[in-house]
Amino acid sequence: MSAELLRETFEIQGRNFDKAGEISSEIKVILKDLDIDAACIRRVVIVAFEAEMNVVMYADRGTLTLVLTEEDIRLEVHDEGPGIPDIELAMKEGYSTASDEMREMGFGVGMGLPNIKKNSDDFCLELEVGKGTSVFARIRLNSHA
Amino acid sequence: MPELKHGFKIDTAKCDGRMHCMRACPTHAIRVKNGKARYIPELCIDCGSCLQACPSKAISATTISLAELDRFKFKVAVASPALFTQFGLNDTPAQVGRALLDLGFDAVWEYAVDIELITRAIIDCVRTWPGPFPLISDSCPVVVRLIQVSFPSIVDHIIPIEVPREIAGREVKRKYSQELGLKPEEIAAIYITPCQAKSISILQPAEESKSYLDGAVGISEIYNDILYRLRKETKSLEDNAQEGLMDSGELFHWGNPEGEFPSLAPEHYLPLTGLTDIIKVFNDIERGRLANIEFLECHACLGGCVGGNLTVENLYAARSKELHLKANMPKPSREFEKEVARRYAQGDFSLRGVVKPRSLAKDVVDLRERVMRRKRAEEILRGLPLLNCGLCGAPSCKDHSDDVAQGRAEIGDCVFLSRTRIDELRKVYKKGPAASEG
Repeated sequence: MSAELLRETFEIQGRNFDKAGEISSEIKVILKDLDIDAACIRRVVIVAFEAEMNVVMYADRGTLTLVLTEEDIRLEVHDEGPGIPDIELAMKEGYSTASDEMREMGFGVGMGLPNIKKNSDDFCLELEVGKGTSVFARIRLNSHA
Repeated sequence: MPELKHGFKIDTAKCDGRMHCMRACPTHAIRVKNGKARYIPELCIDCGSCLQACPSKAISATTISLAELDRFKFKVAVASPALFTQFGLNDTPAQVGRALLDLGFDAVWEYAVDIELITRAIIDCVRTWPGPFPLISDSCPVVVRLIQVSFPSIVDHIIPIEVPREIAGREVKRKYSQELGLKPEEIAAIYITPCQAKSISILQPAEESKSYLDGAVGISEIYNDILYRLRKETKSLEDNAQEGLMDSGELFHWGNPEGEFPSLAPEHYLPLTGLTDIIKVFNDIERGRLANIEFLECHACLGGCVGGNLTVENLYAARSKELHLKANMPKPSREFEKEVARRYAQGDFSLRGVVKPRSLAKDVVDLRERVMRRKRAEEILRGLPLLNCGLCGAPSCKDHSDDVAQGRAEIGDCVFLSRTRIDELRKVYKKGPAASEG
């Protein structure tokens, strides 16, 4: 594992749809500043946005940590939420537990976790029902998908 | 990367350093040092915001003048539909076309055919496109450059189809070289443009190919000459083979975003104008949203090309004229439809190159150094007042911290961090004759 060049942690406010997406935008600006490959930024931003939205929709609060090494970008998302009762279902495209209100806002179409998986090179989910969820995603700097 | 060309120049003698341009620039490409504005070529997207903002009229568009066309044997005007919205309600496109001939053009191109061809090419492309969606139109050069500079991760959303004006240029050269026995380089295909961005896209296409057009003349440059001819009606031109088509309204087809590609299904298609809104929407696309929309037609100028910075009439009057023209537009003639069908069957309309992100720093230093610079910039920013006063010569404290971290500026250019800075500025900005010498 190569050394960390950069590590930044962002706080995510649960249920605050007003600010939803701000962290992934901030991450985009950081990576663009660093002139990271465009295809890689795109994948990171999609993963960050979906992960951020999951926290906003289901949890009270959470954090998103961005780690940059010479080889990859890692995103770690922890939240204090209900956890995911059925992971297999949650990984299915189109499956969603979002409320009508969330759907009216255009979220909760059941693509969150599948999108995160699709756009990362490594992906892992840890959870404790009733306590919270952690998502780890790794995107290689030179990957082209 | 070849040296970047831009569609405007700053006249340093006229520049008073009042920073209007610096504050107006959407990509923060302008710095004002020693009372003079200059731009960072890699960041400029040719939107022309600076041109309109300058109170000293120091910034001008680099279009060409009619006199420069004399080196060509045969000159053809390809007029943006926006041109026809600039005159009175009763001035027809055909009359404007005749005025162009009277001005010295040998022919006025029936541009509506090319627009229809590209509309079809877009529909076909959208239908077979595997993704990503939405596709984004490439007809506004500013939008293409904005994506290259500020939204590099969505360059592959740009539709790989040529723009109508290039297809017109190609056909102009082909047709007249065949008919008149001239070499293609002896024929001038000149775009009558509503903005200077199109002239830069002719000088240096974003997809790194060579333009079929030979230059662009701004609408504002020939406005008076055309108006004079429309009002005076000095010359009744002899019957011309072109006139039949011209009078059927086929010079004029679109101009505002809602009408550029009229045959696209409205439920999958979104027209969008003005850089502020475009930037908001591009941010969403970067996060993977809006994928349900097939095609986004984006124009950097508010109101679309009729609001271009080289137009003369105000946007709303031009829009009203446009609606008037559309309401009175006859159905396409059979000749028109035959011509479209003929050329669509023969032509290739795909973009001749690939639009790539514009690299800003990668070639210079490695990732580790870039991270160091970023950390340095963050450190510097913490010591700045965050007022974005601009007196350092950068549009925001953030830009100043970046400039210092990259060695482009001195940290003491900030008036809050240096005692002497304000005295230096006082010398530069002092009123009276002494100021112009420095």
